Amino acid sequence: MTSHRSALAALGAAVVMAASPAVASNLTLTSKSLTVARACILTANSTTSVVGAETTVREGNPTNNYGTVTSTNVATQTNVNRRTYISFDLTKCNPAVAAGTTIKLATLRLFVTAIPAVCRTHDIFKATAAWTELGLTWNNQPFGTTLNNPVSASRTASLDVGASPCQNPTANQYVSGWNVTPDVQSFVSGTSTNYGWMIRDDVEASSTGRTATYTTAEANLVAQGPQLIVTY
Amino acid sequence: MHRPRPLRVGLTALAVAAVAYTVSVGHASSLSAGSRSLGAKNSTVTACDSDGFTILPNLSSSNVASVTVGGIASACATAAISVTVNNGTTSSSGTGTVPAGGGSVTVTLAVAVPAKDSEQIDVAVSGP
Repeated sequence: MTSHRSALAALGAAVVMAASPAVASNLTLTSKSLTVARACILTANSTTSVVGAETTVREGNPTNNYGTVTSTNVATQTNVNRRTYISFDLTKCNPAVAAGTTIKLATLRLFVTAIPAVCRTHDIFKATAAWTELGLTWNNQPFGTTLNNPVSASRTASLDVGASPCQNPTANQYVSGWNVTPDVQSFVSGTSTNYGWMIRDDVEASSTGRTATYTTAEANLVAQGPQLIVTY
Repeated sequence: MHRPRPLRVGLTALAVAAVAYTVSVGHASSLSAGSRSLGAKNSTVTACDSDGFTILPNLSSSNVASVTVGGIASACATAAISVTVNNGTTSSSGTGTVPAGGGSVTVTLAVAVPAKDSEQIDVAVSGP
């Protein structure tokens, strides 16, 4: 019996030895990757919208304001050029985009209802001074009345719109191509004030008129409202 | 020498238990002996896409019916994707699978969400 007890004791010790590693702390666990993203979609789609503002300024009517019109234009033609000003209130994102957040992508979209007869480049510039939807005119616009100002090279982004072949060759849909990520990042980071953007034809004062028409919030069309999509 | 049967059974059972325990512990290959404390540690979860997605709501009438997520890296291929749209008063989710090669996928929401001035869309890609 003594030998039996010894054998049992030896086996018991083996169990204890085997169990000892279980208290080790360097367990390695593997898990699936997880990639997350959040987007704030601001859509100015009604006359009462408080998330965005947009209007056209017209060289041919330099003291008129068009803030209540249901469409806005970007046009190039001698003496009758048109520009679009647009802004979005990023504080309307819910939940708010925290200051200092890294913006991965910010895209501005407009719904085009009429495209130029030939492909045109529309440049978007970060506005550098305040303006109001119901007060802006050609004469008092932040970038002044000088044509092709600011220079194209200082644009944030551009897209091509017009009859095919062109990047955005079809009317009655949102155009794509205005990536305004660096501007939105600067707004969120506080390195620049959010005055929105100005959009103009890359080459103003064309001898032949080339006009694009975009829907504004005042059209009260949910599916066509100016839109800013911020992914972070 | 004659051994009592119960003792033989006991020895056998103990041996089996010892082997089974050793084998089960052996599944965790990185266990090391010598530590007698149990610690905790945080570890970063990897992401299959580092440069963000394009996220576009798709409307049906005046409601967000689906969301197209694009710009998905090929490293996310076959991963499960979940999308939630919240307009502040209504929230709905949908799920899908990232196609082979990444790219884009349209996820249909369980219930369409009325489009409003401000919407939040959350995207989660789990795996592959």
